[in-house]
Amino acid sequence: MRKVFEIALGILTAIGGFVDIGDIVANTETGARFGMSLAWVVVVGVVGICVFAEMAGRVATVSGRPVFDLVRERLGARVALVNLLASFFITFLTLAAEIGGVALAIELATSVNYLLWIPLVAFLVWFVVWRVKFQVMENVFGLLGLALIVVAVALWRLHPDWGGLIHGATHPAVPKGEGHPTWWYFAIALLGAAMTPYEVFFFSSGAVEDGWTRSDLMVNRANVYIGFPLGGLLSLTLMVMATLFFEPRGIEPGHLSQVALSTALVLGKLGLAVLLVGFFAATFGAALETALSCGYTVAQYFGFQWGKFVRPTEAPRFHLVTLLSIVLGAGLVLSTLDPIKVTEYSIVLSAAALPLTYFPILLVANDPDYMGDKVNSRLGNAIGSLYLALLLVVAVVTIPLMILTKAGS
Amino acid sequence: MRSRIAALLLVAIVCGCTGPVRSFNVYASKGGKTAKAVVSAVETARLAVSAAARDRAYGRYLGQVLAEAERDATAAQGTFDAIQPPDRRTDRLREELDGLLTPTLSSLADLRIAARRGDLVDLPRLAAPLAGLSKRLDDFAQAHQ
Repeated sequence: MRKVFEIALGILTAIGGFVDIGDIVANTETGARFGMSLAWVVVVGVVGICVFAEMAGRVATVSGRPVFDLVRERLGARVALVNLLASFFITFLTLAAEIGGVALAIELATSVNYLLWIPLVAFLVWFVVWRVKFQVMENVFGLLGLALIVVAVALWRLHPDWGGLIHGATHPAVPKGEGHPTWWYFAIALLGAAMTPYEVFFFSSGAVEDGWTRSDLMVNRANVYIGFPLGGLLSLTLMVMATLFFEPRGIEPGHLSQVALSTALVLGKLGLAVLLVGFFAATFGAALETALSCGYTVAQYFGFQWGKFVRPTEAPRFHLVTLLSIVLGAGLVLSTLDPIKVTEYSIVLSAAALPLTYFPILLVANDPDYMGDKVNSRLGNAIGSLYLALLLVVAVVTIPLMILTKAGS
Repeated sequence: MRSRIAALLLVAIVCGCTGPVRSFNVYASKGGKTAKAVVSAVETARLAVSAAARDRAYGRYLGQVLAEAERDATAAQGTFDAIQPPDRRTDRLREELDGLLTPTLSSLADLRIAARRGDLVDLPRLAAPLAGLSKRLDDFAQAHQ
């Protein structure tokens, strides 16, 4: 019974924790501009993150060491350093975007400028990282993030033309007035949002924090194969709402406030209030995950004691990196850079860096020295290799497409 | 080596600046993009007003949405107005677009002020001109893609 509860809780937190500011922005902007024509990318992204997160969780569970810990050992210090620099930069940008996202969510409820909230948000993120137990933190914000289901409820109440939506999703075509390069650029942004590297760092380090053993491999699979796809479905509902409300009106959403409009129109004040709680929980939870991921990656590369499973005084350098990342991330958004723009760049750049994150995972998950009898299956390797090839193409074309399309404008 | 780096930096800086527009078509296309951006802001404001009319959103939230819509429209107009029109023909185009932008921005400002004062019942009346303006801006954007 305890195991069933643990699995159910894991699935729920995986759903609630899946959506972050990147998913909110990317799915809404894409739906508003391209309708459902890029919905297939969300499916590709969710399958990709499932495949690699399962591997990362399995590696951490079997070896008792998170992925980044093994990357340096397996690939050598120099290659792992390149990996670290790219991963840390992307995760740091995402952290800044999430801190901005939390502040924007509070601004919507209070009308007080988001810049004034950023120092408080940064302090709260650090405080939770410092004081709150890992499991409590993971469960509270994962479960609160489920408030985003209100968007799906609004969609259900709307009784949309499901046939038309499914047709749009299954017959992808570039809408009139939009160019192919821009369409592909947004496809890459969606993929980057779904497969953000920090999700894997956090998931594999979290497996160690939670003290997973081989008997928890079932929990790992349930989280990944049930929780993540349902989380992906939640981000798809944002795309559908944008397709229904924004695309026909020519609205190009650039603010978090606009994302909430459709739900407010359908469900009223209560729906709006629940959605704002969902925005807060999703972005705050992701801010915690990205802040910790900054600490995890650096500490694991350099071999410092890391994690919340030990007292903060026993892992001072890990906590110092985490704290500095939070302070610098807050500083970046305080410079008045638009958090939504930071999000847009972070997800696209993360797409460019995806092979650096996922190649080592595939490598380690195939190494019998670490994995014993739990190495990848042939099917797992085939899918993983296919994705790696796709991610390499994405990495090569991302920057040229960014320049060509003026970042999708 | 240093001179090469300096040259590259100079190119990067120059590329980052808004250059003068030399043809009617390019200027018109920028006007079209401006109109499209303002349509987005106006339609956002109209959705917010619709939520207010049906008592479906809080005043603070609506004030925020309307303030951002006004800010977006103002920014779009500011960017367009900063572009030097290359000839007399483009002057007429500029006047035509400004003729649409000025009342639009005025209406958006009225909405923001009313929402921030809590006069939510006034919003539908204040938003009335926006339907026609949005249509004309959209026509302009379509004509100058």
